[in-house]
Amino acid sequence: MDDELTDEQRLLHDTAVRFIQSELPLAATRELHEDPRGYDEKWLARTAELGWYSLLVAEEHGGGSISGHGLIDLAVVADTIGRFVQPGPFISMNVVGAAVTADGTAEQRAALLPGMVAGEVVATWAPFDSTGKWDGGHGLTVTADGDEIVLRGTRGFVQDALTSDVLCVVGTLGGAPVQVLVPTRTAGVDVEPLTCLDLSRRMGEVTFDARLPAAAQLGGAGADTEVALEHQLQIAVVLACAETVGALDTMFEMTVEYSKGRVAFGRPIGSFQALKHVMADVAVFLEGCKAVATESARVVDAGGDDAAEVVSMAASYIDERATEIAQQCLQIHGGIGFTWEHDLHLLMRRARSTTSLWCDPVWHRERICEVHAL
Amino acid sequence: MSEIDGLDDYRTEMRAWLAANLPARVPGSSTLDVDGLTPEQLADGRAQQKQMYDAGYVGITVPTEYGGQGLSEAHQRVWIEESAGYAVPLPAGVASMVTMGVVLPTLLANATEEQKRAWIPRLLRAEDIWVQLLSEPAAGSDLAGILTRATRTGDTWVLNGTKLWSSGATYADYGICLARTDWDVPKHRGLTWFKVPLHDERVTVRPVRQVNGSLEFCEEFLDDVVVGDDMVIGPVNGGWAVANSMLVFERGVGHIEGPRAGGATSQRELAPDLVELARQRGTTGNAAVRQLIARAHAEDWAHELLTQRVTARLTSGSANPASAALVKLSMGLRNPERAIAAVTIAGRLAVAWREAGSSGERAATGFFYGRQFAIAGGSNQIQRNVISERLLGLPREPSEDKDKPFREVLRDAQGWGSADR
Repeated sequence: MDDELTDEQRLLHDTAVRFIQSELPLAATRELHEDPRGYDEKWLARTAELGWYSLLVAEEHGGGSISGHGLIDLAVVADTIGRFVQPGPFISMNVVGAAVTADGTAEQRAALLPGMVAGEVVATWAPFDSTGKWDGGHGLTVTADGDEIVLRGTRGFVQDALTSDVLCVVGTLGGAPVQVLVPTRTAGVDVEPLTCLDLSRRMGEVTFDARLPAAAQLGGAGADTEVALEHQLQIAVVLACAETVGALDTMFEMTVEYSKGRVAFGRPIGSFQALKHVMADVAVFLEGCKAVATESARVVDAGGDDAAEVVSMAASYIDERATEIAQQCLQIHGGIGFTWEHDLHLLMRRARSTTSLWCDPVWHRERICEVHAL
Repeated sequence: MSEIDGLDDYRTEMRAWLAANLPARVPGSSTLDVDGLTPEQLADGRAQQKQMYDAGYVGITVPTEYGGQGLSEAHQRVWIEESAGYAVPLPAGVASMVTMGVVLPTLLANATEEQKRAWIPRLLRAEDIWVQLLSEPAAGSDLAGILTRATRTGDTWVLNGTKLWSSGATYADYGICLARTDWDVPKHRGLTWFKVPLHDERVTVRPVRQVNGSLEFCEEFLDDVVVGDDMVIGPVNGGWAVANSMLVFERGVGHIEGPRAGGATSQRELAPDLVELARQRGTTGNAAVRQLIARAHAEDWAHELLTQRVTARLTSGSANPASAALVKLSMGLRNPERAIAAVTIAGRLAVAWREAGSSGERAATGFFYGRQFAIAGGSNQIQRNVISERLLGLPREPSEDKDKPFREVLRDAQGWGSADR
């Protein structure tokens, strides 16, 4: 999306790149691979100063975007994060920030948003069950008990669960989906860390046998959670697509450069049609990914009627293409691509895990049919 | 756009003229299909274009000295916007599109002043319809390897050879013909363009039946066709530069026609051809079929977005002109996949059918025609070379023929693969 930026977006992009290059370039992220937390708190606070968690948050709580198109701007940041495989709870923080802004009660907004915008409160979203299913909260039961609610069950694939202060948990109350804002220190909330494909990402499985005030339900009793979940999903997919495009673009740049420098049979390998034709196909796929990622950000930001269909088309397209692009980049790199020292696998890990989390093509394609009442 | 004086008035007048004079375009129909056009129908079509010319809507940006309106690109854009919903006359279908979209800009860029003054007004009024005499039975992707020869004889040129894939040549008056004028220099340096009268008795035009039964394309045999120096377009032996400028115009036309020809759905109806097939077979509930349909739908959408994105950057001048190849290759990759999905969903419906034009028949035809834009107008492989070399900056393959006299190229190719190589 680099060549279609407005001046403001260009500034946002350049600021993010400069910050990353000085604070946490790709090589430096390697030093965090063994860190169970995955990122440094001070670093998180500084990313917050750049506006990484504020663009979808209401102005009265320290958020807002100058352009009035917060999600489009945020997609620019997501692209940069993908390029440099940055750690941290970027997608989940923004989804929860948008959710609390849109649906939170006045108390919830005041309690959470200023801290999230400043990077002092880390909030993450927990919509999946322990098999990774987007299940409308079915793996977690919420029952009312007087002024309190009781949560029992599991949420899987919760990003940065270990370092989060608050989990925005999807469960069911009386068979209907609800979201509950659960402080991670609540008694009966247990986080079990998972081993992640993406070495710069941390995830956990969270089990609940916990009791909270009824006011912990996002938006209070009677909130329209179906609509909220759809909107949150759309934000997550838009950011996931943008982040993936950033990673793919970097991977492909590396691959083209490598093929120009590597010599075999007396020629740079990039001169062989067997390879250059593969790269031409990848260039087309990448162009398609950029086009659909940009469009999905535009449509969701504008609240288009067709946003659900658009994000599912973008997700399914990018998921498939991301796989193809990554596989071909590895193929062209040959043996060197299998070494731990080479950065290619870091980008491949990021692209694959982001798409698998949010862009499941089988699920999204079925949804496209449903949107069209087929 | 309204900052240009009079543009709003121009639009208003145009709107009124369009509504009064042209029929609305039937969605899904194309004015390009003109198989079996009768001489009367062709004459009517020419008269319609002449009427449009007289109203000032043909050759909007063409300078007035060549019979055009001499107006700006902004005026042209108004026409594109306003005329989109109308069946704009193309008397000879693809041949007319080629005349207006490829030959006209090529002549404007390369013909002499005298030629432009004589030829272009007739072209605008549809008095002359042109086709390209470009590919040959033995030269397609390697266009510079053509074998048609033009030999200097006294004050004239004598042309001999065979041309192929000229759309609608049976309806046309002239061909813009690429011929070899020097065999002792490398292939790109011995080519020259000629205007060739197709009604000449030494030209034989023969329709070529395609796999779908269509007779749109033709083959032309040139047997000692004699033309004068006034029929030479551009410099003698400087034809390759002219060809390159022509191919740019040709890709521009490809943009306009490509997605529609490939069956894209701009209104975002869910892949209607595939859904219809699935309904007929009762497989709309089948998970695998649903995946195929949704995937095709998303691919159509993505291709359109890619096209818009690249076209916008080409129009604004911010993109490398070679970016057009991204659109072409995208189409050349998507269309066959799309056609294969149709055949897969159609199953036995694409094996035998009761009625002509059934969705099963369309799927069966698509099994071949899905590859049309993977081959025509620069094959996928040629686009891949363009993208990798001119966009990605990858080194070229070593060339067997680039610096060798063409006569030797032909000779050496005979021995390819033998032991002494």
